[in-house]
Amino acid sequence: MTQNFKPNLVGYLCNWCSYAGADLAGSTKLEVKPFLSVIRVMCSSRVNSNLVLSALLWGADGVLVAGCHPGDCHYEQGNYYARRRFALLKKILESLDLEPERIQLSWISASEGKRYAEVVNEFSDKIMRLGPSPFETNPKI
Amino acid sequence: MSVRIGVYVCECGPNIPDKIDIDKVLEDIAPLNNVAAAKRFRLLCSNDGKKYLADEIRKEKLTHLVVAACSPREHEKTFMQVCVEAGLNPYLFQMVNIREQCAWMIPDKAEATRMAAKHIRAGISRVALHGPLSKKELTVNPDVLIIGGGISGIEAALSLASKTRKVAIIERSDSLGGRTGKLSRLLLHQGTDVSVLREKIEKIEKDENISVLTGCEVTDIRGFLGNFEVRIESSGEEAVSRSIVVGAVVVATGCELWDGYDPAVYGAGNIDDVVTAAEFEDMIAAGKILLKNGKPPRSVALIHCVGRKEKGYCSKVCCLYALKFAHHLRDSRAPAEVYEFYSDLCLPEKTDQEYFDGAVKKGVHFLRTENVRVEKRNGHIVVEHGDGAGKKKTLEVDMAVLAPALVPPPGSEKLARMLNIPLDETGFFKEAHAMLDPVAAPIEGVYIAGCASGPKNINESVVQAQAASGKILSTLVPGKTLEPEVKISVINEDLCTGCQTCLSVCFYGAISFQAHKGVSAVNEAICRGCGSCVGSCPSGAISSRHFTYRQLYEEIFEALR
Amino acid sequence: MNPNILVLGAGVSGIEASLLLAGAGRTVHLVEKDMLIGGQTIKFEEVYPNLECSTCMVAPKQQAVLQSANIKVYLQSELEKLEGALGAFTARITKKARYVSLANCIGCGACYEPCPVSLNNPFEEGLSTRKAVAVPCAGALPNVPAIDPEQCLHLNGKDRNCQACKEACMFDAILFDDKDETFDLEVGAVVVATGFELQEATKFPQYAYGGGKNVYSALEFERLFASNGPTEGKLILRDGRTPQSVGIIHCVGRKEQGYCSGVCCMYAAKFSRFIKHKIPEAKVCEFHTDLCIPGKTYQKFHDQTRSLGVEFVRAESVGVAAKNGGLEVAYQNVDRGPGTFKADMVILAPAMVPRRDTPELSERLGLKQDSRGFLASRRGGLSPIETDIEGVFVVGCAQGPKDIPESVAQAEAAVGKILSLIPEETG
Repeated sequence: MTQNFKPNLVGYLCNWCSYAGADLAGSTKLEVKPFLSVIRVMCSSRVNSNLVLSALLWGADGVLVAGCHPGDCHYEQGNYYARRRFALLKKILESLDLEPERIQLSWISASEGKRYAEVVNEFSDKIMRLGPSPFETNPKI
Repeated sequence: MSVRIGVYVCECGPNIPDKIDIDKVLEDIAPLNNVAAAKRFRLLCSNDGKKYLADEIRKEKLTHLVVAACSPREHEKTFMQVCVEAGLNPYLFQMVNIREQCAWMIPDKAEATRMAAKHIRAGISRVALHGPLSKKELTVNPDVLIIGGGISGIEAALSLASKTRKVAIIERSDSLGGRTGKLSRLLLHQGTDVSVLREKIEKIEKDENISVLTGCEVTDIRGFLGNFEVRIESSGEEAVSRSIVVGAVVVATGCELWDGYDPAVYGAGNIDDVVTAAEFEDMIAAGKILLKNGKPPRSVALIHCVGRKEKGYCSKVCCLYALKFAHHLRDSRAPAEVYEFYSDLCLPEKTDQEYFDGAVKKGVHFLRTENVRVEKRNGHIVVEHGDGAGKKKTLEVDMAVLAPALVPPPGSEKLARMLNIPLDETGFFKEAHAMLDPVAAPIEGVYIAGCASGPKNINESVVQAQAASGKILSTLVPGKTLEPEVKISVINEDLCTGCQTCLSVCFYGAISFQAHKGVSAVNEAICRGCGSCVGSCPSGAISSRHFTYRQLYEEIFEALR
Repeated sequence: MNPNILVLGAGVSGIEASLLLAGAGRTVHLVEKDMLIGGQTIKFEEVYPNLECSTCMVAPKQQAVLQSANIKVYLQSELEKLEGALGAFTARITKKARYVSLANCIGCGACYEPCPVSLNNPFEEGLSTRKAVAVPCAGALPNVPAIDPEQCLHLNGKDRNCQACKEACMFDAILFDDKDETFDLEVGAVVVATGFELQEATKFPQYAYGGGKNVYSALEFERLFASNGPTEGKLILRDGRTPQSVGIIHCVGRKEQGYCSGVCCMYAAKFSRFIKHKIPEAKVCEFHTDLCIPGKTYQKFHDQTRSLGVEFVRAESVGVAAKNGGLEVAYQNVDRGPGTFKADMVILAPAMVPRRDTPELSERLGLKQDSRGFLASRRGGLSPIETDIEGVFVVGCAQGPKDIPESVAQAEAAVGKILSLIPEETG
């Protein structure tokens, strides 16, 4: 772990739950580590391997996808698709010798400001422990 | 034409300048490509602020607008409206959240400034790729098709029909009224007489805006809210078939009494004088409660919960109608002894307990049991019941009435497929949202009222029919247009391979396969813009308006710079 | 006929009616007694049977109400008198002073900290305090505080020099000279959606409620497990301990009220699940009479709760006593006779009753109360939302105990009746 390593993280937040949860974290003045760039999407099901892998390809040290809890998806079942795709994505990362922990799918509801802060902070810590993405030096990519 | 992006940073009073060095941010972004103006303002959502923005759009001849302020969930609509008023397409606008998600959550000013600048740069890159989307207007057909002519269908028809809105009720039996029509008495403690139903049917017959098609069924439905094409065929000997166009469909197909219970356990059909609740209602209607031998029963057992365990749900109405039977039996000139066998007494409405207490006062016996059997022994009907301690007891009675579970009627699956709406695991139609949208199906334009969505009593069914009407009256206004979602998915036919993966993930049935072209297409009137199809397309043929890959890539690039 | 509508009460029913009417192009005057909208539903963390996040579910609707051009929201407001008839009602409304400008305040919260006065927070069912200038909970909508004039030192005269909040506010949003208002609204129809209360548990001395003991009424427990509540969702007792044994008592007040409230069996099962989820080793026992779990989904929810190891005892004569530093539930198991249950915590499910101001409200509306005290429906009809006054509808729990889907359906039904009674053309 590099001492002054400031990870570059990309976060896809679904409009209805997790983005609102992030707003709540802010309005209740919770401290969140400043490494996550937030990209709003309408549903976590919009996020597929393109969006996750391109972020990693272009230098993200970690990618977080956050959606509504299972059963609460604003579009009924979008988050189930996100969940299935993620399982596959993790396997793809393994085959590329990239740590699967660099990507994370979390369920955060609109009332879970605290949880948002916890998830982002823990994810940031985890990536800081893993170190910068080995992308540039990875022969497989 | 040159791109001129205006970037305005809102101070939100002290909220943002306290935590973010706005001047530094402006310095950072002003020199960027296409940025025509980079300014700060005290409070953009105020009347002054909105006027300022409108003036800036015109003065600076902006082609795109970025506002960095609070969450878009707060004021995106506000600023989109400012764009409209200033003559700028509201979708050529991006709002960047630097309050809730930067200033308020990052205590270190340098870090908060860094992140704010990053997000604003992302917003600037992104907005340059926005398209000038426009709202569509769909003219709608305000007419309504009601499937099912029971109490719910009848109520919905009466609530909806008017000179400007025609209603068609389609009923597969040969008369209106449904199961309520077979009752001669409603729950009297509610002060309502069953003649109410007859009055309603008469009103329908006189109403020239309501057409009643009995002996008919729906055989095909295509379309969407405001525009459904329905094929109707008569189920009789003369195969008459016709098509009508309506704007909305109300599913009011009701329920029926379950007849799949084990006759060895419950005896109906097997043993004389063991009857179902429906048969008992017929006896009440005929004015005579008699055994097969023509004599009145001296003792009657009312067996609740027939099928509760097997079906896995409580049918809600049986305890009440069993009490109705009990009152009826005790009120007669030669009252029979009445024994009610139940597992739980379900009395959820504010007057139900009183009705029960009244039955107790009249000498009705209530026996709680988990296991009940109705058998014939030595020529007598015997009810065997286990008490709470597990001890088995028996009771001899002249007659037994079974209260079976309420189940979906045959044809529900076919109708569900036709309408593209789901059934839940009990086989009843599934609501759009169990809590907040109980009378709508997940497909827009299709509504569900009454027992079609699950067991309920007459009052509730009537309320649901009125509720479905409320939704239709509010949405489908004659002469008004509908504005479907703007930020929808679009399929590029050149890239589409016709794999239909998108079809399989669309919950709303908004995608159809065009066989003659070999590609899929999105119905713009139905698409909700979730992007599930975009995410699932293996060819990248689908894009999401306002959330295109290129737009999102711009945000990623800036995030990682 | 006046096409505009008055909706009394901004809980889920009032919100639903307002949105549907606004969608039809009508102007809706939404009058709410409290300082925020959302009613009781936003106090719950989760709702049965899907255990969906309650605030997530209601928040888009609350925001839609506040952003709708057609819905005028009057907070801290009440109906004084309703006169007139269908198509032409006049409603006199009194609006209490908020002392904070809804137009200027942006919800930054800078005024809360400097305020020197703390008071019991009714939203949190008395489980925590808030300042004299505050919002009731995190995520309240509108996100604008109100000042309690009786507690505020400046407003009650105890310290006219205290202007801590005003000094902290950068938006000139504090208005000490705000005044109560009275005004008339002309409408064509009225939807009464004023909701319910739970019966005061203090009315039942046999349950040992009060005196700082770990006996909680249902709404208090809802706040305990809410993630935006006084303990942020941590299940801890008044003394900070984690309960290891919880008893839930159904039917509190059923005999006295003379009716079953219809929702308690389900929310009790919800509570049991929550407790088992947070404290898997805890012992949970529900004491009930008949299980009222009608409909296609409720029984399954209940059966699943059983399979989590929650005990159910069909009992009569249930009582709670403080014993040996804890609580003891004494009961008569209807099948097995007397028994006791040692508990660290007891939760009571009290009857859902009409709000205590229903007698006044019914008078102001010109409606009757039924034998249970709820606003009376018109007799002889099949729809319980109609009253004796044409054009005045009672929906939701103001009409009688019911769950959320039924409340919403009734609100939509009132809209259906109104839109057909008062078609736009005659407006």
